[in-house]
Order: sequence, then C-alpha cells, then structure tokens
Amino acid sequence: MKLKKETLWGWILILPLTLGLTLWVAFPVGVSVFMSLFKWNMISPAQFIGLENFRFMFFQDHLFWQSVSVMFLYTLTSVPLQLALAFSMALLLNTKVKGMGIFRTIYYLPSLIPVMVSTALWMFLYNPQFGLFNLMLDGLGLPTQEWLRNPDLVIPSLVLMSLWSVGNIVIIFLAGLQNIPKELMEACTIDGGNAWHRMRNIVLPFMSPILFYNLVMGIVGGMQTFTQPYVMTNGGPSNASLTYVLHLYKQAFQFSKMGYANALALVLLIVTVLISLIVFQSSKSWVYYSGDKK
Amino acid sequence: MKEGIKSAICVLLLAGCVASGVFADNVKLSYMYWGSPAEDEATKQALKDFEAANPGITVNPLFAPGTKAEFDAKLKAMSESDTLPDVGYFRPESVHEYGSNGFFLDLTTYIAKDNLKKDYLAQTWITQNGKIIGAYTAAEAQVMYYNKKLLQAAGVPLPPTDYTKAWTWDQAVKYWTMLTVDKNGKHPGDSGFDPKKITQFGVNHEVWSGMLYPAIWSNGGEVFSVDGKQILVDSPATVQAIQRLADLRLKNKVMSAPGSTEYQSAGSTDPKVLMQNGQLAFYISGAWEMLDFAKMSFPLGVGALPIQKKPAQLYISGVNVVYKTSKHPEEAWKLQKWMMTPEKTLNLYAGGLWMPTKASWYSNKDDLNKWLSNPAHPDGFKAAVVDSMTVARAEPIGIKNYDQLWAEYINPELDKVWIGKASAETALKTAADKIRKSGLLQGTW
Repeated sequence: MKLKKETLWGWILILPLTLGLTLWVAFPVGVSVFMSLFKWNMISPAQFIGLENFRFMFFQDHLFWQSVSVMFLYTLTSVPLQLALAFSMALLLNTKVKGMGIFRTIYYLPSLIPVMVSTALWMFLYNPQFGLFNLMLDGLGLPTQEWLRNPDLVIPSLVLMSLWSVGNIVIIFLAGLQNIPKELMEACTIDGGNAWHRMRNIVLPFMSPILFYNLVMGIVGGMQTFTQPYVMTNGGPSNASLTYVLHLYKQAFQFSKMGYANALALVLLIVTVLISLIVFQSSKSWVYYSGDKK
Repeated sequence: MKEGIKSAICVLLLAGCVASGVFADNVKLSYMYWGSPAEDEATKQALKDFEAANPGITVNPLFAPGTKAEFDAKLKAMSESDTLPDVGYFRPESVHEYGSNGFFLDLTTYIAKDNLKKDYLAQTWITQNGKIIGAYTAAEAQVMYYNKKLLQAAGVPLPPTDYTKAWTWDQAVKYWTMLTVDKNGKHPGDSGFDPKKITQFGVNHEVWSGMLYPAIWSNGGEVFSVDGKQILVDSPATVQAIQRLADLRLKNKVMSAPGSTEYQSAGSTDPKVLMQNGQLAFYISGAWEMLDFAKMSFPLGVGALPIQKKPAQLYISGVNVVYKTSKHPEEAWKLQKWMMTPEKTLNLYAGGLWMPTKASWYSNKDDLNKWLSNPAHPDGFKAAVVDSMTVARAEPIGIKNYDQLWAEYINPELDKVWIGKASAETALKTAADKIRKSGLLQGTW
C-alpha cells in the first residue's frame, strides 16, 4: 500500500507532538515506573527490590497516609470553593455596570502574580505577630490565630490563599456566560421565570462543560499542590501541610530515596487517573453539550 | 622560498611546543560553595588570592546558593554527568552518606605528609572507617547577642562574658522579663500585661535542631547516645530543657514567635532586624550572624550562654571536601589547605562569618587579635564564645539517618511543643517511640 502524500504530510506534521510526548512524557513515565521497583540513592548503583517500595508505602511509611489525607482534605475543600467563588464572580462581572472593564482587571490581576511572590506576600499576611490578619482580628476584638504555625489552621490558610488567584477560572467562566444565547434568557423571563429559573434551566446547563473542565483541572491540580506548602511551611507544622507531592519531593531529594519516590509517583498517577475516570463517567449525567442529541 | 617555509614551520612547531608546555602546567580546578552575597564576594577573593600565590593553577568558582535540597539535587546531577568539582563545601548531614559511597578523597596521607593534625582543633576532621573524608569549614558556635542600648534603658546589667560564670536560666528569664514590654509599658507578670500587644521582646532563641543542643547539653540531657544506637530525646533532662525553651513564649511571655524548626522562613521577621529596630533585646543563634550584624549600626554585645546545670557549647559547621573524581588531587589538596588557613583567607574570619579551625588562633595572642580585634567582633566574644570552644561538642552528624530522624520524627513533634499544643514530655515521648519502631537507629558511620 503506497503512502499517499497526504498521509505522509499528516505524519510529518504530528511528528513534533508525538516525539515530544514520547521523549518527555511517555519515556520518563516508563522509566519512573521501572525505577519504582528499585532502591536507588543516585550516588550508588540501583538495587532491584521488587515491590518492597510499595509494601513500605502502604504499611510502614507513617507519613504516606498523612500526605494522602492532607492532599484529599486540601483538594476537597479548595476545588469546590474555588469553583463556587469563580462562578459567582463571573456572574457579577457579567452584569452591565459602568467600569466593568476595570473590575474585571482588578479581579484578574492576582492570578498573574508569580506563585513565589504571592506566597511570600501571604506569609507576611499570616505572620502571627505583625501580619495583617491578626491585626484585623485584634482590632475586631477576636482572638488572634497562629495561622501557619497551628496544625489545625494551616490547610484552611492554604485554601484561603488559593481562593485569591481564581482569576483565570473566572475569565473562562465569563467567556462561557457570554456565549449563552440571549433569546433563551428572554424567553424564560417572558414565560414568567425569575433569576433562579434562568440559572437552573439555562445558565447552569450551558456552563456545565466549562464547570466540568475546571472541576477536572482543579482536582488534578489540587492533588499536585507543591509550591505553596514547600515555600510556606515545608510540610509543617507537624506535617499538617505535607501534601503528597511535597512528601514525594522530600523522599527523592532530601532523603535520597529515588526508587521510593518513583513508587509514590506511580500511585499518584493511578489515583489521579481513577478519579478523573469517575468524574468523566459522572459527567454523562450532568454535563450538557449544546449540539448533542438530547 | 623553501628555506623560508621550513623555518616558518620550525618556528610554529616550537611555538606550539612552548604553548602546550605552558598549558600543560596550567591546572584548572573548580570550587563549589554556597552562602550569602557577602560570603560569595569573600570566597571569590580568597580564591583569587590562591591563584596569585600559585601561578599555574586557576580556580573556577561555582557559587551554588539555595536550600539543602537544591544543593543535593545539583550534586546528584553533577555526579551523574561526571562534572563534579574538585574541592568545595558539603552539607554536614549528608557527608557520611556520600563518603560511604566513595565520593571523597581520603585525606589521611596528605594530612600526615604536611603534619597538619597538630595545628587544628581535634573536632575539625571528619572521619569514616578510619579515613579522613573532610574537614569542617569553620568552627561555628552558638552565641547570645544583645542590644546594649535596650539593656541600659531597662536598667538590666550586662550579662557576664565568662562562659563559666554565666547567668543561670532563672536569672536569664528574670532579666528577659524586665526587657519585655507591652504597649502600656507593662512587663510579664504585671497586672494588666497584654501579651498580644508586646512592643519589645526580651529574647528570641532559634529552635532548629543544631540550636537546641547547647540548652539540652547544659541541662545534662542528650538526644542520641554516642554510639547512635539509642534515642534519648525523651530523657527527663532533655524534656525539661525543651519545655524551658517553649515556656519562654508560652509561660514567661518573653519570646517572639520562634522561627520554623527547619529554616528561617520568609514572612517571619528576621530577629536581627527586630534587634536593630529596638524590638528585641537578646538573640541566641549562631556565630555566623555577626557578618550581618557588622553592617548594622546599633551597639552589639555578646554574653555567655545561660547555664542550666553546666556550661555547654556546640561545634557546628559546613564541611569542606576534596572529591575523589578530581583529576588533580595534589593541587586540589593545596586549595583545600589554603581555604583552611586563616592567614590566607583572613577576610572570612575577621568579617565575622567564620571562626577558625586552626588551634593556635584560639590561644596565640597575635593570631587572636588578627581575627577578633575589629568592630565586627564585640568585646565579650572571646570570653563568651572563643574560650567556650574548650567544652564544645560537635553536632552528631555521624549518626546514620541523622537528617531523617530530625526532619521526619523529632521536628514534627517539636512543632506542637512550640505553640503549646503538646507538652515537651508527651511530644518527645511520641517521637522517641516512633523512632524506636522505625528501624532507623543504625549506629554511626
């Protein structure tokens, strides 16, 4: 069978992407899965130890389950809150108010600030002695908090910080809101529907693909949170903010347990894929794509 | 013509021989180190001085600032790509692990040949299985700094400088209480004192692992047994010392929020800045802080560390090593010797960053003056710190899994103690029990 010229061009044009995916994604993942069966500290030859890393992970590593619970706690609180907040903000930013452009800019700006900068900023805000939050609490007569030094408050503090940079999610929601056909909204109003009816029957279904996209991205991103706890608390206090990826990083680079870190990465990959599959399956019942046969 | 060409070729060949001869003598070394910008400058100067004194050797400075994890990652990358430096700094907590994998040159014969052992403090050399794998870069210790102006304003006597006649813990707490003032001028213990409105703190004590040893040892406590096979952090003397430190903030209300157990995190205010602003009277940290203090303009004093049961001092420092993969071990050793010689790298010592490892620089009057008689070193420094090195014990980095035991077991429990969520007794017992079950206590290297 002779390759048609078109087919050949097709292959050539997707070559950069496939090469990239192979070299920089598939190959390292493959090596990582392979190395998870070894004990390797990067300065002496790797030793094959089979499934020992996994046995240690599930039965002996007292920080594994801690990091899993921190990861889930963080993700399950921050993602719904982020989506709810971003959606509400998008609704507000979609109204016809004078100077809306300025408002949209203001609320989008925080998401442009580099993560390291905003992290340092929030650390000052959370400072128990001189930080702004304790100053405000004190001014209101409320007890001041230890914030990042209190194991019970550190995850809520991180969640609060993550809510500040929902700007890019707001923009995506806003674009979705502006694509809703105006005739449908008017038709609903004419039929006697109020804002709630409009929301439930028109806005939410039209926004559901975008909600779905942000939900999946939010969950995957939340499960991989690393920078903020690494810079702000290094997993403390008492490992209360030891997210899964931070635990992985420490095992790899602080304690030189590369094989074990690869095993942790593999488990994270499997869990993320499973959760994504569940969300995708559920999407069939609540996500509405205009253009689909209903 | 032919003659011309022949002679031209001869000249070129001769030039080539001479040139390659010169290049053959030129040895290129690389030196890897970390530190603040001031340390970077000082180190580069020391390396330049070495080049000037040793024509034929050039040194490429590899400045690698950043956290320990970043340094480790960089080192592993260099090792995988065969681009390790010849000489350089090394993290003390990892030096034994890498040494056991044959990373470092055995310096025993070089030291013996130059008869260096007698010139240096006994704790300087890092040994492993009878081999000397490195030397401590400096001999850092714990120092109690204070702002003289604040003490004079509060009518507090200047602390003794003789390390054997220091304040007792109770005396220290009493004076720190006098130096802690809230917005209304009240001290802890006065009626109406508001711990949330403190404008001046009496003391800040660093609480990362190294900085806890002097207080623990002063009270007769221990963290590990000398053979590294037992964990003793839950012994009553240790528990008492830790609880006393925590109480500075919780009960006595004289201490500002402690820094993290792991590092000085951004967002927590630098105690040195607080001291300069008159918001902190005493600061207990390492000797290296003097390099930054030297740039500040308030009257700095140094006092002897408070004694609980007996005087104690810590010997802590980064480590200097010569890598086994070095292609020029003789020249690398020369460079290492140079960096260990205070006479040649004086700016690093006189500036307040390092304390020397050479023994004579602690006893010989002229040598002492060379690095102590300058504004960076306050008057009490010799009696309080330099003399206390006679009782100094090294941080026990020779214990296997040292870093992991602190980072994963002890520090997480201490986090709770500093904010009052757990007593030192329960927290340290929990940590010790977990350590005993972990199988990580494997003795020393």
